[in-house]
Amino acid sequence: MASEFLEAYRNRHELAVGWKQAGKKVFGYFCNYTPEEIIHAAGVIPVRIRGATENIELADAHLPTYCCSYIRSALDQALKGRYSYLDGTVFPKTCDMTRVLPSIWKRNIKVPYQYFLPMPGKSTDEAVEFLIPELRLFRESLEGYLGQPITDEALKQAIGVYNENRTLVDEVYKLALSDAPPISGSQMYGILLAGLIMPKEEHNAMLRRLPGNVPDPVANRDGRMRLMVAGSTFENVELLQLIEDCGGDVVIDDLDFGTRYYGSTVDESLEPMRALAKRYLRRIPCPCKHPTQLRMEHILKLAKDYRVKGVILLNQKYCDTHLYDRPWIESTLRDNGLQVLLVDHSDIGWVGGKFKTMVEAFMEMAE
Amino acid sequence: MDAKGENKPESQAKPPRLSSAAALGPLNEGYYRDLANAKQEGRPVVWVTSMAPIELVFAFGGIPFFPENYSALCSSRKVAAEFMEAGEALGYSAGLCSYALNTFGFTHLKRGAFGDEGPPAPDVLLATEAACATHPKWWEALQRQFDCPLIIVDAAYVVDSEALSGHQKRYLAAELERAALDMERYTGTKFDIDRLREVVALSDRTSELWDEIDGMRAAVPCPISQIDVFTVQFPLVTLKGTKAAVEFYEPLRDEVKQRVESGFGFLPNERFRLIWDLFPVFHNLRLLNYFGQFDATFVTDLYGNAFSGRLDASDPFGSLAERYLSFFMRSASVGKAQIYVERAKRYHVDGMVFHANRCCRCFSAEQPEIGQILREELDIPSMVFEADMVDPRAYDDAQVKGRIEAFMEMLEARKYPK
Ligand code: SF4
Ligand code: SF4
Repeated sequence: MASEFLEAYRNRHELAVGWKQAGKKVFGYFCNYTPEEIIHAAGVIPVRIRGATENIELADAHLPTYCCSYIRSALDQALKGRYSYLDGTVFPKTCDMTRVLPSIWKRNIKVPYQYFLPMPGKSTDEAVEFLIPELRLFRESLEGYLGQPITDEALKQAIGVYNENRTLVDEVYKLALSDAPPISGSQMYGILLAGLIMPKEEHNAMLRRLPGNVPDPVANRDGRMRLMVAGSTFENVELLQLIEDCGGDVVIDDLDFGTRYYGSTVDESLEPMRALAKRYLRRIPCPCKHPTQLRMEHILKLAKDYRVKGVILLNQKYCDTHLYDRPWIESTLRDNGLQVLLVDHSDIGWVGGKFKTMVEAFMEMAE
Repeated sequence: MDAKGENKPESQAKPPRLSSAAALGPLNEGYYRDLANAKQEGRPVVWVTSMAPIELVFAFGGIPFFPENYSALCSSRKVAAEFMEAGEALGYSAGLCSYALNTFGFTHLKRGAFGDEGPPAPDVLLATEAACATHPKWWEALQRQFDCPLIIVDAAYVVDSEALSGHQKRYLAAELERAALDMERYTGTKFDIDRLREVVALSDRTSELWDEIDGMRAAVPCPISQIDVFTVQFPLVTLKGTKAAVEFYEPLRDEVKQRVESGFGFLPNERFRLIWDLFPVFHNLRLLNYFGQFDATFVTDLYGNAFSGRLDASDPFGSLAERYLSFFMRSASVGKAQIYVERAKRYHVDGMVFHANRCCRCFSAEQPEIGQILREELDIPSMVFEADMVDPRAYDDAQVKGRIEAFMEMLEARKYPK
């Protein structure tokens, strides 16, 4: 059952083409700061634009090689036509790459609709008041493009679906609170990824069928080490399997498509636009938002709740905002008695063997 | 003509000096003296990012200190490599902005550009995200290091022209006003709006003079060199909002004007006019002279302009907000390319040179696209060379010069076909 998720993710382009044939519109979006609920409420399926592990061939003419491999690969995939089904693309302002990419995208990837959402960098009350009219503008722009209104009803319904999704994913996370998690880190990874690329209703339905349906992936738990993976994003599934092969169990994460994306529900008692503005600014922040302290506390809390012994800090090379925090996160984790492994990652040209050696050495040291 | 410039000794390519630039030395010394004495005199030292409102700092009687500018100084004084290594040893990734790495290094080692103890520690840290998203990140790191107050001014992004009058401007202006209140709290000095107006008026005048000087580079032949421009930029960056800056640029403007009126070009025989994008190579500014050997000069760049911006003393916060919002980096479109296209026409440009400053992704990532836009729209060719503004370690002078030579040969064949 759990493998169905990863399979769906791997077939994401075929799935999207299927929805298109069924008459749906599909939007691609970058980054977990996109208020997907508004897109969903417009009757459009939002899918996360992801990179791949495939070599970069076309993007190098448009983006220097010293940009993060995620953005380079995403652009490369689009230039190769893998995202030709998109009716629109949405960019929220987060790191420098998300500011630079929209213009390059617009010139080179012909997508009928494109929107740049100027998300504030802070989470103050003023920032919330700033974001509300910005969200309204986005909503109006979408309405204009689609030629039909997005009703408050639809918005509330979308918020409900997304909240349910967040709750269901959290329930799966919580399975790993037990000493013998019935779900492995790599299986969890598939679940998280699938949620990025399919309608949330479908993801919810799959999640509801899940508990009780997963056999314990590990027969013998002697000497296994509970771990957290923290960082921005990555594409290589093998990565988690290799950690498991080395005797590590990734029981929780602090990733861009993990707890930072699936955490923090929207307050359904508030007016929807205000509720969304609050949720997107008051959620567990990515490092591009301020203050950063909240994320540190989030990591420490998860480490404690999920009883991890070590944290793998996995950062994309050239992912500046994350890398500025790294020495601080590393030392804070160590001060809290946790083992830390630093990994400079690139989705492209990743060598599993090298990674495995690192993890093995780390686990030996940690014992 | 000799495209390779082989027969020309390098000295011949050295531009004649601007006599009014001689005032730069005392100005510089005065600034560093003030900085060193700040603590004694009870003046707050405020470490600022570029695109931070130093006008506010001056209005509170403080002294702004730019780690970026100082890192450039470390680079030209050949101490940056050691500082960067120290920064990397603290766990900061080698790919990060070399200004930041250099700053982490010299603050950790407690050493300065002149073999001294370095600048005084910050009393307040002031950052905006108007230049890049990494600024607040290293200011947060500095805050943890120095344990002093940090003010972050959040800047919205411009997606369309509405932003300059709309709520994006109001949000940023309110952020700036709040920063003034924070400064009041942190420095213990009462905020005086009239004092700010005075500073803003001086800042505006400085930018006006700068823009005037910069605009005169459109003259054929070009009156001043790119090295001149980079060198005389210090007051624009660090002293904008003081009388001293205005007093520096007034005679300089007159001198450049005089050069233009008399038809004086700093190159004896100007044959090519180029655009420079964007950062100086601080550890090797002389590279710019190398273009002189091919009778080529730079007539425009956006590096200096990044620090200039007109303000309105009757609306200090609103006009500061407008200024940051209209900065080309605040746009989600290739705003920079449009500026270059416009300038390429106005400044009679033959080609463009991109310094691919590896560590500054936000300014370099668009370069391939800008090059394509210039080629498509105006048939202007460009070249790219990779370097780092501060870090000399991976710089290959021979390779860079080889590229320049090939590019200039190509331009020669295009502009002056045999
Ligand atoms: S946050 Fe990091 S990985 Fe994500 S787009 Fe920005 S630089 Fe790339
Ligand atoms: S990354 Fe670029 S814009 Fe940001 S501080 Fe460094 S040089 Fe300046």
